[in-house]
Amino acid sequence: MNEFSILLPIIIPLVGAMLVIIVRRLGGMKEGAALLATIFSLVTAIMLYGRELNYSLPWAGFGMEFTLRLYHFSAFILLAVSVFAFLITLYCCSFMRGKSYGVWFYFYLLISAAMVNGAVLADNLILMLFFWEGLLVTLFGMIAIGGKEAFKAATKAFIIIGICDLCMMFGIALTGYLAGTMTISKISMSPGSLGSVAFIFLMIGAISKAGSMPFHSWIPDAAVNAPLPFMAFLPASLEKLLGIYFLARISLDMFKLDVNSWLSILLMVIGSITILAAVMMALIQKDYKKLLSYHAISQVGYMVLGIGTCLPVGIVGGLFHMINHALYKSCLFLTGGSVEKQAGTTSLDKLGGLALKMPITFICFLVAAASISGVPPFNGFFSKELVYEGALQRGAIFYLAAVLGSFFTAASFLKLGHSAFLGKVSDANKNVKEAAPAMLLPMIVIALICILFGVYNHFPLSNFIKPILGEQRLAGHEFAINTTLIVITVVVLTGALLHHLFAVKITGSGLKSADYIRYAPVFRGIYNRAENKYFDPYDIGLKIVNVITKTAWRIDRAVDWIYEGLTVRAVYLFSNGIRSAHTGNYSLYIVWSLLGAVLVLIVIMKSV
Amino acid sequence: MLSLFVLLPFLAIVMLNLPLKTVTRQLALWFGIALSAGQVFVVIFQPDVFWNGTDLLGRFFTLRLQADNLSMVMLLSIGIVTFAAILVGRQTIADSRLRFNFMNLVLLSLIGMNGTVLLTDLFSLYIFIEVVAISSFILIAFQRDLNALEGAFKYIILSAVATVLMLLSVSVLLMAAGDTSFSSVAAAVKNSSSSHFVRFAIGIFICGLFIKGGLVPFHGWLPAAYSMAPAAVSVLLAGIVTKVSGIYALIRLSTSVFGPDSSLNAVLMIAGAVSIVIGALAATGQSDFKRMLAYSSISQVGYIILALGCGTKLALVGAVFHLFNHSIFKSLLFVNSAAVEQQTGTSDMDKMGGLGSRMPYTNATSLIAFLSTAGVPPLAGFWSKLIIVIALWQSGYYIYAFIAILSSIITLGYLLSMQRRVFFGILSDKLQAVREAGFGIVFPACVLAAITVGVGLSFPFIFNSFIIPIGAFLK
Amino acid sequence: MVLILNIILLVLFVVGAVWTMMTTRLLHSAVGLAFTSAVLTVLMFQLDSPLAAVFELSVCAGLVSAIFISTIMLTKRVTAEELIVQRKIRLASFWFLPIVVVAAAIVLSLIHIPVDFKLPEPPVENNVKNIMWNLRHLDLMGQIAILLTGVFGVVTLFKESKHD
Repeated sequence: MNEFSILLPIIIPLVGAMLVIIVRRLGGMKEGAALLATIFSLVTAIMLYGRELNYSLPWAGFGMEFTLRLYHFSAFILLAVSVFAFLITLYCCSFMRGKSYGVWFYFYLLISAAMVNGAVLADNLILMLFFWEGLLVTLFGMIAIGGKEAFKAATKAFIIIGICDLCMMFGIALTGYLAGTMTISKISMSPGSLGSVAFIFLMIGAISKAGSMPFHSWIPDAAVNAPLPFMAFLPASLEKLLGIYFLARISLDMFKLDVNSWLSILLMVIGSITILAAVMMALIQKDYKKLLSYHAISQVGYMVLGIGTCLPVGIVGGLFHMINHALYKSCLFLTGGSVEKQAGTTSLDKLGGLALKMPITFICFLVAAASISGVPPFNGFFSKELVYEGALQRGAIFYLAAVLGSFFTAASFLKLGHSAFLGKVSDANKNVKEAAPAMLLPMIVIALICILFGVYNHFPLSNFIKPILGEQRLAGHEFAINTTLIVITVVVLTGALLHHLFAVKITGSGLKSADYIRYAPVFRGIYNRAENKYFDPYDIGLKIVNVITKTAWRIDRAVDWIYEGLTVRAVYLFSNGIRSAHTGNYSLYIVWSLLGAVLVLIVIMKSV
Repeated sequence: MLSLFVLLPFLAIVMLNLPLKTVTRQLALWFGIALSAGQVFVVIFQPDVFWNGTDLLGRFFTLRLQADNLSMVMLLSIGIVTFAAILVGRQTIADSRLRFNFMNLVLLSLIGMNGTVLLTDLFSLYIFIEVVAISSFILIAFQRDLNALEGAFKYIILSAVATVLMLLSVSVLLMAAGDTSFSSVAAAVKNSSSSHFVRFAIGIFICGLFIKGGLVPFHGWLPAAYSMAPAAVSVLLAGIVTKVSGIYALIRLSTSVFGPDSSLNAVLMIAGAVSIVIGALAATGQSDFKRMLAYSSISQVGYIILALGCGTKLALVGAVFHLFNHSIFKSLLFVNSAAVEQQTGTSDMDKMGGLGSRMPYTNATSLIAFLSTAGVPPLAGFWSKLIIVIALWQSGYYIYAFIAILSSIITLGYLLSMQRRVFFGILSDKLQAVREAGFGIVFPACVLAAITVGVGLSFPFIFNSFIIPIGAFLK
Repeated sequence: MVLILNIILLVLFVVGAVWTMMTTRLLHSAVGLAFTSAVLTVLMFQLDSPLAAVFELSVCAGLVSAIFISTIMLTKRVTAEELIVQRKIRLASFWFLPIVVVAAAIVLSLIHIPVDFKLPEPPVENNVKNIMWNLRHLDLMGQIAILLTGVFGVVTLFKESKHD
């Protein structure tokens, strides 16, 4: 393998995407092409793993170079991306059957994989931005193929992420100016006053890609309308991987954040708020997909919190949580997909008692739900413990927020599991069958990995996560799990279970187990406002924009008149004048020439 | 073996006119294609044997030819545009006898153009410019169309003025320098910079070239000649003939023979800026397809001359690059106009509309060409205009830079209106039967469009390796 | 004396040229051209250039005029009405020329360019014959090309096509 092989992770999915388009009319070939491309890129990612490669091409000049760099961190992300791309394509082979937009879904999926790979490999900020923006386009496309309503959600996502990317673009420009180079691996500075500004802008780009608050509001909207595998693929796994990867890069390598920095506090605060606010929203949802999507936001909080601690244990926890979350959350979305495909709905009101009809889906759901709730010995437990430990060292309040988040997570999944899989079988669901093998296989594989990463957590930690920080940073740190914290966690989870049982007993149904929180005195007002999107920065922005638009419209009329009326008229006036001067008369033309010659001679001879 | 550039077309003409009637008429086309394609080949691939081999003709004759990077660019443009023009001519000229004469005249024009870009002598320059000019007169008029005769006649009249001016200048400079080779004239100009007579000679030579290049206010002949000429001839004329005989000569003389000189540069910049603005404004109001392109050509030539007057190395590189780009996209536009004219029988834009659905290739290539002309990234025209504007800005000519940018917007405006009136909109009933033009028009259009797009996209890669070295002709 | 003669000759030259341009009769125009050439011949003699003078007289004043006149004899005369129209057009397209000349003269005199028509000596006194002949092989090719072009021009523009 020479240095060109670093291009393969970008090229193979792109070629695959073209292939999908080419063979789309041949029945069944498009799935084959997409699968083949993802298998190839998986093989490539495995072969590339553990290598260090650099590849550089001159590009647009001015410091913009086509520089790619493969090292353990990017190789790890590549591997994860390829695994998810493969599994989700496999899942879609069955899920997408009979849907008109299947071709475009595969197309966007492969392009997205290529873009993520490119962004991860890029060692130049501008080049990375190029791939980063490419992902925005495919994101838009993937949501928009869901239909008319989905198009609205797609526009919302596009605008929110677009604005955040704009911030990031500014951050990149500032960083490049401060560092004097656009090459990521050469940038290494401590955030000064201007550097902090640059960091914040880059951070906005990173955490908005990851879906953290306050840039989250498109995810629940998209969840309702977009194809479910999309949720499993982009918001749940790939975007988290990319966003957190970049956050880790900027806070570990490019800007040397340390414990004393206020930026670290900022990150932790954002993380804590995201955990709590999103999980509270998740708790009251009555739709399978929407509930999961709020968890997709909430879990980002743990990662941001972990990295924000600036302590090795927290960072390791955050990154480990990143991969764990990608696993269990995509698994959860896939179970959601199976339920939707088989039962025809994801509304929790209409579901119930599916556990016996879809036993394998239910088991996969159980494993993933236990992981996300942090039940030992599943993988989520270990990464959360590491984050807890880091948070506790920085301040009890952050720890408290994290543990409280865990409590509500557990509670909401108990509610979800109860109302979807347990309880009475409703009439509509009587004939529901287990999903097709091609859909089950990815779920089973991911669930197995969840268990593996939990039971043998040393394997991913020492093979994947720890090399990212390097020997130096890790020196002198032990990752033994603190027994006290485990005890607290177990107590909290037990509390959540008891709470659920208690609530079910009072309200009489799993679905309504959280309703008393929904209608509690203070929360009721907050929830009402949240449901009316008072807290959605996008909607607030839209209202402000409306006012500005009306004012601008009036100014615009005036300006328009200048452009469309005055300028055009002036141009035509001149134009007609010039045209009428061209009479086609020879002597006139000769006179022009001679007069011109006289003027030229005057200028040239005058200078002697 | 530089003399081959002149000698081979010459031999081709001799062979074609041997009394072997039927054979030679078939051969004429292939000779033209082979010569122009061969020219492109030797410039691009730079075979060592060709460029460094001993010049057989040079052993017996004193030719004093020379090919630097500027000449290379010109030879390349000449090859490409001639190739396109020959193919268009094959498609559009029905009569076989006329077609044969057309090929012969194109070959003669090729002799003139190749000679012009290779020679190193002022008097020879005059002679070869005349070869180009006379073959163009006849090419414009050779179908004996009344309008075309008028266009040719205008060209002859103003060319005659140019001829007188240049010849007078050459004789004065011969007296001053004792010789007419570029090097000795340059030395004489340097030594006698205070002589009014020499300045006068420089001034009128420049004016002669302004007429040949069609700069405002010396442009009277150009719209008529371009728009009245037969389709294939206007491709050749607009694409390369005036560029070689006017613009190339201006670049060569103002940089290494008459100049660099501040007042000369001032004249060039003013003429360039005036041409840009007047050309663009005049093009805006035209309703004839080819006439609009002709005025647009004046405007684009203005950019080249403006950059030439700026005088920095970057500006000159931009000027030559724009010259190359312009010869590609302007001949492409004329190829498209040939397609439209042949298929609809008119070049009045008010009578067209909706042709895009019937002529998809012509529509697409025309779109590429007009976007490139207007300087829309990432096409080739954008980069050359960008270089020119940057060079103007660096040298502190903010107003000129502003004019250049503003006129670019007008360019976009009128070409957009052209595209809309011709290709977009609803197809009128009369034009229902219109089809895509033949292979001889579509193929060169696609080749030229591919060059425009290719150069534009690969610009970052060729910027340092090909474009900046163009500036090496500066001494 | 010589000066006066020269001025008279120049005036005659200009008048001949203007008449050639302005007259509406082709025949008059051709005669005017011959006359102008003849005056030019005398001027060339004055300028000590007999070779050029003889060439001018024989080719321009003699041969070319003879061809013109013999061709014009073959054409049809225009009617009187057409003649008036022609005259009007001619005037309409040239009336501003004198104004332009006068205006240019005024502008030039106002701008005041210190004209000094002394030529610098050439650095090396070259043999003109050497320059004009021995170093001109390239021009020879160019001139042959011009001749060929002329031939093709005549063939395409003036030879009647057999197909017509």
